[in-house]
Amino acid sequence: MKPAPFTYHRPASLAEALTLLLRHGPAAKPLAGGQSLGPMLNMRLARPAHLVDLNDLIELDSLRVTEDTLEVGALTRHHRLANAPEVQRSLPLLGAAAASIGHYTIRQRGTIGGSLAHADPAAQLPLIAVTLGATLVISGPDGSREIAAADFLQSIMTVDLRDGELITAVRFPLPVGDLWAYEAFSRRHGDFALVSVALSFSRDAEGKIVALRLGLGGVDTVPLRLPEIEARGQGRLADENTIRDLAIATATAIAPEDSEQVPAVYRRELAETLVVRAFKAAVNREEGA
Amino acid sequence: MSDGFTEIGRALPRKEDRRLVTGRGRYLDDLASPGALHVSFVRSPHAHARILEIDSAEAAEMPGVVGVFTGRDLDHMTTRLRLAPPIEGLQPTELTTLPINKVRFHGDPVACVVATDRYLAEDAAECVTVEYEQLRAVTSIAEAFAPDAALVDDSLSSNLVSHQTLSVGDPAARRAEAHRVVEARFALHRHTHVPLETRGCLADWDDGRAHLNMHIGNQVPHPLRSQLASRLGLSESQVTVMSPDVGGAFGQKIALYREELTVAALSRHLCRPVRWREDRMENLMSAAHAREYECRTRTSVSETGRILGLELEIDEDFGGYCFYPANYMARVIALIMTGPYRIQDYAYEVRVALTNKCGAGPMRAPMAITSWVMEGTIDAIARDLELDPVEVRRVNALGPEDLPYKMPTGEILEDVTPRETLEMAVAAIDVAAFRERQTQARSEGRYLGLGLCTVIESTTYGSEFYKSAGIPGSGHESAWVRIEPSGVVNASVGLMGTGQGYESPLSQAVAEGLGVRSEDVTVHMGNTDIAPYGMGSRGGRGATAGGGTLYLCALKARERVLAIAASMLDLNDAGGLRMRAGQIERMIGDDWQKVGLALTDVARRAYLDPLVLPEGIPPGLDFSQSYDPPAMTYSNSTHACEVEVDLQTGAISIDRYLVAEDSGTILNPIVVSGQQQGAIAMGLSGALLEQVVYDSSGQNLSATLADYLVASPNELPEFEILHHHTPNRRTPAGIKGMAEGGVMGAIGVIANAVSDALAPRGVTIKRLPLTPQSIRALLREAAPSSMKRTQS
Repeated sequence: MKPAPFTYHRPASLAEALTLLLRHGPAAKPLAGGQSLGPMLNMRLARPAHLVDLNDLIELDSLRVTEDTLEVGALTRHHRLANAPEVQRSLPLLGAAAASIGHYTIRQRGTIGGSLAHADPAAQLPLIAVTLGATLVISGPDGSREIAAADFLQSIMTVDLRDGELITAVRFPLPVGDLWAYEAFSRRHGDFALVSVALSFSRDAEGKIVALRLGLGGVDTVPLRLPEIEARGQGRLADENTIRDLAIATATAIAPEDSEQVPAVYRRELAETLVVRAFKAAVNREEGA
Repeated sequence: MSDGFTEIGRALPRKEDRRLVTGRGRYLDDLASPGALHVSFVRSPHAHARILEIDSAEAAEMPGVVGVFTGRDLDHMTTRLRLAPPIEGLQPTELTTLPINKVRFHGDPVACVVATDRYLAEDAAECVTVEYEQLRAVTSIAEAFAPDAALVDDSLSSNLVSHQTLSVGDPAARRAEAHRVVEARFALHRHTHVPLETRGCLADWDDGRAHLNMHIGNQVPHPLRSQLASRLGLSESQVTVMSPDVGGAFGQKIALYREELTVAALSRHLCRPVRWREDRMENLMSAAHAREYECRTRTSVSETGRILGLELEIDEDFGGYCFYPANYMARVIALIMTGPYRIQDYAYEVRVALTNKCGAGPMRAPMAITSWVMEGTIDAIARDLELDPVEVRRVNALGPEDLPYKMPTGEILEDVTPRETLEMAVAAIDVAAFRERQTQARSEGRYLGLGLCTVIESTTYGSEFYKSAGIPGSGHESAWVRIEPSGVVNASVGLMGTGQGYESPLSQAVAEGLGVRSEDVTVHMGNTDIAPYGMGSRGGRGATAGGGTLYLCALKARERVLAIAASMLDLNDAGGLRMRAGQIERMIGDDWQKVGLALTDVARRAYLDPLVLPEGIPPGLDFSQSYDPPAMTYSNSTHACEVEVDLQTGAISIDRYLVAEDSGTILNPIVVSGQQQGAIAMGLSGALLEQVVYDSSGQNLSATLADYLVASPNELPEFEILHHHTPNRRTPAGIKGMAEGGVMGAIGVIANAVSDALAPRGVTIKRLPLTPQSIRALLREAAPSSMKRTQS
């Protein structure tokens, strides 16, 4: 449990970080919060020859709310996301999901950019980013580009990040529905969820569902947004029948991995249960129940 | 609490906490050893394979590498471990220090790289190439016993390494007469100990003195020293074992492991200090595992649920190597199975299998499955006969009129109170009120369950036990007590604490026996040059064997102190004298009164003015004493727990947990409470979360703490503890052991509670752990095919 040899770099600016990443190409790995990379280094599952520590780039630890965007700097810690008033106001779903990550000490270190770049299929922030249609801002040798979270996340721990590139910010479009829920089922407090559900919608004057967003984590190689389920729910009352129908449809729509430890049928059952619970939590919160 | 004690029973804070909670403990890694070499082990990626060739040429040339050593090299430096106790049905086994021809589990060490630091050692270990010829892996008990099974140990005739049977009375006749014969099955899964501090050692060979100092966190320093000396061809006076502070052991730090012996042999070979700190993956994969059993009971019962006869089959998966005789753990399960119940017609068959997994060893409550099997059997009887499970317990439970009770295996139960703790727990949980809540909840689609589990906990383990179990060493303990010239007291015993909090309770045992304040007693443990020989810490024996021996030794010291005091007071004898808090007191009239003489005065005379000591009394005040406790002492408890099972997710939540426990005289309630809570937590963690998983090819899939899940406080409820104290009449101060019963009770009670909750759905728990996915699988299987799953 000692890492393979590496050279440690601690750039003082984004430009310097990008230069280092470009110079060392695939042999370099950026280090943000280190909550996943640290164990992987120690187990020699990751063996970069160059480690580029981003923790001096405090300009990337930022939150900015405009009329149509919440922009989160890549080095923003989960703890800040979970507690910042501007997140609570503009995107409470993101704050709640961030608050559920790991344990207090982990949230002090872990960053949103790190979580997206690591791309664990059960992680909270990639799920929220995909569900809400967030855009990633990526800086590289040719300037910066933007990419939808859903396109960025390609598979388990596989993302569209080229040599010399770094995520610098995540942009969440605003506004989103005022009803929301994050529901996750894990074996223990603080563990990665077996299945998680992110839900966001509003109700129109007649109480019908509009602006529905539904995403699931832990049921595929990447977090999934389910547009067909969203379309199915659009314009219906958020009553028992609708909720059950959407939950069953969700369980049918997914094709989770089947393993002896966690059979696919179990993840399907969890998805169905959590979708129901998410809708109920969202409605209950609004109605103050 | 027994009357008359002034030091025993005090809620004295744990003395070690000052250093431990202020970060000033000294664990193995805190010991500096300039110039020490570090090792890393090359481990097998296969469960079962022949070693064809080990090529270490490249590794040996790498920076900082001092050498790479294989099983062949170590075979010249050490002797082999032969286990061949004269036990019927047990095949003798022999082990080399590192495997030479064959690996037997995923993680088996095949070579040891020695380098100037651990990073370089690990870099080089990656470059040692081992050519293997893979063999078919044996990964279950059924496979091990199959007629065409591959042999795990090529020198044995089969994988059935141990096989014992016993029949007492006439269980077959009872079956023929029975109103009903109830069958039940119980499968407990493989666990591992997960001490916070993994294994490790620092071996420091002093070539000039031809002496080995072995720093190692270990529960049994003396038996370890004997083993180490013998395997290295040294005498016991050439080896000193020193245990620093130890971050947990739970039974994992008893045996002399192959890695530790390798490190010691290499320190001697290289004439350099050599150290090894096991990493977490090694610990989870290759240290020791435990608890993998399949049990079946067949119980003959009367119409009222009275047990007429019990037949038990136990199969154990022992893994690839025998670091203990293979009958060791399963034997105790069979020995005490009937536990709190009146059963005389009893038969058992115990079969132990070798498989291609990590070797098994004792783990806090090696007999943990016992209470689940017995109490699950009681619940099966209640279900089968549609009786109240509390009533079935009452009909069978041993009461005061039955004691002392000779169990069918010959074990004697005395000073135990299973019926009393059952009634305490039943009253406290209010079973009738619970049943009403349960009925109401079921009508709302919520599934509550109540479990009960009465435990008879075997503790102490004297020489008679170890001899019949085939374990080297005896079960006695020795102690010394030394009153220093200033009157302070030093004492020592052969135990070694690994987090239990021994220092206060053991000093209380000394203080009680001697008549001083516990604060003035210091107990030294863990250094074999200082501590007297003892079997060490295992099997809930710290209090009776360790505390009892210290207490007896202190009584001996007190006798001498009072004799000297009598002479100083010009009395003919010490008849009317006693000592309290280090002050001599004399009975005057009906009152004990201070006489202005203190232990400090007596000590000064004994050491500094010996010429005026009475005739026949030698100078100085040092004493030693050995004591062989009974083969077993028994504590008992009844656990009760209420759960709710979420039918949609399979999640289990514990709404209430209580235990009524009788562990005899309590030396220190703070330490006992810590042990009770810790044991229950460990049992629940094991039943709900922990599981060593091997796939069908023998790959270990649970080698990180993200895969091997251990409960944190978030997953555990508050534990309510009800006390009952029945001193043991045969032990010093009435002490019994404790600290393992909580594990036994927790496993049984949670399984029984979940079975109770799911009874309306036709589900009975026969296999642990109770993972949410396994609960869902049981519900799916039990659901009639026409019934669609519904959401609440």
